[in-house]
Amino acid sequence: MQVFDLTWLVLLLPLLGFLIVGSLRLSGWYTNNEMITWIGCGAIALAFIFALISYLTLVNSATQASDSVFWRWVQSGSLHITFGLRLDALSGVMLLVVTGVGLLIHIYSAGYMHDDPGYWRYYSFLNFFIFAMVLLVSADNFLFLLVGWALVGLASYLLIGFWYQRPSAANAAKKAFVVNVIGDFGLMLAIFLLFIKFGTLAYGGSSGVSGILFTDAGGTAAAPAAFALNDPMIIAITLLIFVGCVAKSAQLPLHVWLPDAMEGPTPVSALIHAATMVTAGVYLVARTSNLFNQAPASLWVVAGIGGATALFAATIGLVQNDIKRILAYSTISQLGYMFLAEGVGNYAAGIFHLTTHAYFKALLFMCAGAVIHALGGEQDIRKMGGLRQKLPWTYWLFLVGGLAIAGIVPLSGFWSKDGILSTLLALGIAPGGNLWYLVLYGVGLLTALLTGFYIFRLIFVVFHGAYRGGEPVPQPEGQVDTRARQRRRGDPLARVHEAPWIMLVPMLILAFLSVVGGAYGTPWADVLGQFLAPVLGSSFSLEQFIPQGGWLWVSFGVGVAAGLLGILGAWWMYVRRVPSLKPMKNPLYQLFLHKYWVDELYDWVLVKPIVGTGRLANRVVEGSLLDGGGRGLAWLVGKTSVGFRAVQSGYVRNYALIFLVGAVLILLYYIARP
Amino acid sequence: MPPDQPTGYLIVSAVLFTIGVMGVLTRRNPLIQFMSIELMLNAVNLSFITFAHYLDSVDGWIFTFLVLTVAAAEVVVGLAIIVSIFRSRHNIDVDELNSMKG
Repeated sequence: MQVFDLTWLVLLLPLLGFLIVGSLRLSGWYTNNEMITWIGCGAIALAFIFALISYLTLVNSATQASDSVFWRWVQSGSLHITFGLRLDALSGVMLLVVTGVGLLIHIYSAGYMHDDPGYWRYYSFLNFFIFAMVLLVSADNFLFLLVGWALVGLASYLLIGFWYQRPSAANAAKKAFVVNVIGDFGLMLAIFLLFIKFGTLAYGGSSGVSGILFTDAGGTAAAPAAFALNDPMIIAITLLIFVGCVAKSAQLPLHVWLPDAMEGPTPVSALIHAATMVTAGVYLVARTSNLFNQAPASLWVVAGIGGATALFAATIGLVQNDIKRILAYSTISQLGYMFLAEGVGNYAAGIFHLTTHAYFKALLFMCAGAVIHALGGEQDIRKMGGLRQKLPWTYWLFLVGGLAIAGIVPLSGFWSKDGILSTLLALGIAPGGNLWYLVLYGVGLLTALLTGFYIFRLIFVVFHGAYRGGEPVPQPEGQVDTRARQRRRGDPLARVHEAPWIMLVPMLILAFLSVVGGAYGTPWADVLGQFLAPVLGSSFSLEQFIPQGGWLWVSFGVGVAAGLLGILGAWWMYVRRVPSLKPMKNPLYQLFLHKYWVDELYDWVLVKPIVGTGRLANRVVEGSLLDGGGRGLAWLVGKTSVGFRAVQSGYVRNYALIFLVGAVLILLYYIARP
Repeated sequence: MPPDQPTGYLIVSAVLFTIGVMGVLTRRNPLIQFMSIELMLNAVNLSFITFAHYLDSVDGWIFTFLVLTVAAAEVVVGLAIIVSIFRSRHNIDVDELNSMKG
């Protein structure tokens, strides 16, 4: 069957949506919200349909990749830069996730943002984001990858700072942008090095062109022969690429922007900061797997940072009190899992976890949005509680998402998380296996336990027990004013209602996907792994990632047990006993609550010295040196002219006398001259 | 017949010039100052003609005519300025006209 490559439409439609929604409003045309909704959602819906068609025809064809070049942008000597879109297994999967989850969140937003004055701005930015993300995942060369990479950063900046009237949102947007630019810079350096080494930026493959990643015409993975294993150059390139991934995917030590990014609207957190943009790093490592395989040292860095981040973020998530921040740390932690899988060479497992995580984390964020929406903008879980009766649908959907992320069999999260854990176990117990695999396995298990705990702490504190807050005043999320609440007699939740259907339907679809979404990645029928295998180079075969003998069942059992133990712990602390939400004196608790003081550390080590240097430069260079020099010159000129001003008396006869004196002096000069 | 030496003419010229200078410097009426300037110019003309005659050169004659032309033009412009100053200020005392004082 022929591949029906419609990627260009998938790219074009969100761009059109962005332009139409934005320009209609900016040109002064009155547009009502309904029209904006139809244009915004319609563009993404069509994009999703075209992505689905492209994907299905790709699955059913013998071709591995379809690469369409649209435009030769730069042709200068040996430098050829083309704009082309590549459709292969990896970009196909990413396109489906981006447009699919994107569509659901567009629909959900129609309910969530309906009374926001910036509705049109919201939809145009959201469409712009989808455009940038599609460009990122389907570009066929590193230059346009970088363009997409930077544009999603811009979209993220615009949407985090969507409520720009709030200083906290504006600051969070700036922080996200600055941290992301650090990553962009790393990626840019990597691309420079790649160009020096290869003289091209194309991925290569299907059009028979030999590129960086793929050498044969079939577009299947082929390790670049240009490098020896662990060549210093390839290690530098891969580590610089990974710097970009670390910033974009909020891994240690550049994770600081993601929790603050929760200042944006909740659907944005669901789409950009949970399901799609932050997974761009995971995508990029998988995309450049051919390079990473030539640099095992870099892969260990990826695995190490992934594992460390997974555990680190999970511990912080245990004690946070902001419903969205808990989910943000959970996202960081799950992204750590994905890098962990990729770091040990199982890229397919990383991408698999990326897809299932997109389902259940978007679902969790949407549920959190429904709770926030119902409570008039409240985000502090200490002021919630007992919402199960009031928000039954949200409760059950949240529970599905929670069970999925905790890795309870047979939900999607179980299959993808256990795919990662069993990979680590299989590599660890294999003959001659590295002990570090088992260490990482332990880290993964511990994180699984913590995941179960923090997500169910959230569920129990928000939905069980008694309500602890005041009467919520219905307000859009942007203008929450907690002081406006008044305690009235009677039920403070009398006016709290379930989310409208336009919000619930996308949540139901995602809940369905969260339940069954693992079916295409089980160890017995690893459809996704087989599909991705030709694109993802690996130094292992897929079979090596599955523990042999009874070990697979041991891995399953231990993984589920860890999740259940976490849930049980949360139940013990927050349901069985009266939940204590007061801060504890425990130093470990303080450490987690203050997020390891990383923000403070950066403040002291980086921000303060830089700001101090700036102040000093402002005073010395700008003030004393430049301004002082300028002022000194002006002073000199002023003083001199005061002296000369006396000559300009304004009396004509004075001037005539000066003429005369001058003439006489000249005359005397000629007379006295020998 | 002119004398053999130009000394007399030059002394007259120098005296006239000095009178003109003193007139410009001491009088406050711009009309008198103009007259004094004319005196200075004509003193110069006298020495030009003297030298032209004794050196047997035509340059002096030509310069004299140039000086006369310039003097006429200068008087036209100068008198026009004086008239318009007088119209706006009803006073043409040069010491009062010191608005260009630095």
